[in-house]
Amino acid sequence: MTVPSRDRLVTLVPAVFLVLQSIAALFFLGDALADLRREPMAAETLLEQLVALALICGIGLSAWHLRQSLDRLRAQERALAAARGELARTIDTQFDSWGLTPAERDVGFLALKGLDVADIAAMRGAAQGTVRAQLTRIYAKAGVSGRAQFAAWFVEDLLHDGVRPAE
Amino acid sequence: MRPDADDGGAVAPPDPWDPVVRLTHWAVVIAVLVNYFIAKPGGTIHVWVGWALMAVLALRFLWGLVGPHEARFSAFPPDPRATLSHLADLLRGRAREHRSHNPAGAMMVYTLWALLVAVSLTGLVMTGGKSPVTIAEEKAAVAAGDWSVLVNDDGGDHDEGGNSDFAEEIHEVAANLIIMLAALHVAGVALESRLLKRSLVRPMIRGSRPR
Repeated sequence: MTVPSRDRLVTLVPAVFLVLQSIAALFFLGDALADLRREPMAAETLLEQLVALALICGIGLSAWHLRQSLDRLRAQERALAAARGELARTIDTQFDSWGLTPAERDVGFLALKGLDVADIAAMRGAAQGTVRAQLTRIYAKAGVSGRAQFAAWFVEDLLHDGVRPAE
Repeated sequence: MRPDADDGGAVAPPDPWDPVVRLTHWAVVIAVLVNYFIAKPGGTIHVWVGWALMAVLALRFLWGLVGPHEARFSAFPPDPRATLSHLADLLRGRAREHRSHNPAGAMMVYTLWALLVAVSLTGLVMTGGKSPVTIAEEKAAVAAGDWSVLVNDDGGDHDEGGNSDFAEEIHEVAANLIIMLAALHVAGVALESRLLKRSLVRPMIRGSRPR
């Protein structure tokens, strides 16, 4: 899986500006220093020094900001990976305790991912009837009524228990 | 379709390079190639590119202090002993993953940076520290018939004639070394990519590693 392109742009665009800012700032600084040598106390020279200083501070600040967004993105990525691993482990253990066969595990995972019978059959190169029979056996072993309950088995613990009855 | 149960807890392979590292890397590559092979030495474009290179280097050095872990100097300290053992490993056809630059790569980075700084500084000496903007202004003045800037310029050059020659010498030697080391760097990346069985170039371009 690659980083989504939006996340990529969030850090790439500021980085591009950072490079452009640096180049612009250095050219401006070179010009300002040349003027400083020529006429140190002229109003224009002083203004140029101020602008150069502001540019450089701006670059430092942008760099710091970019660093923080990079850190944030990485932390999110890590948390997501950890959550994925955790969920995968939970599912694995549960499948073990239900005593699913290897074929049933595969079908079970695909069903959890939201694929329908036709898709699963196509992916596994099996007949739809076979997949349907496997799913039925899985539901029976898990003691659930159907796919909705099967999927709910793994998410219900993640949800708050604030389920309110309809009024 | 069995999900890998270790997916979440496993130690991640080297993190991708962040955009600042990638942009500054390729900006330096372009600047070096343009100034070495294309731009006329001492010409206006050569000076413009040189100044842009200095800015990019300055940004990279700033990033080496405030950037993410892999980009910081502290993640790849120059370590001659580790470099030698790393090179010995390479000769034996072994390579280990490193989060940032590997020890040999780090040495290469610092050497190239030192040479790039040397090239920039000697370039500044050779042009009398004049910014490309000033140079362009002077050229425009000369073109408009005002030769006085040239007179001043000559006077200044005479004072530090010896200095300038010396600077020119270093400028050329450093430039040649940069090109040679860059070629070695590319060879090193190719060798290491083969040993690690993953492209080291891809993360420097795309920023993400294949998973």
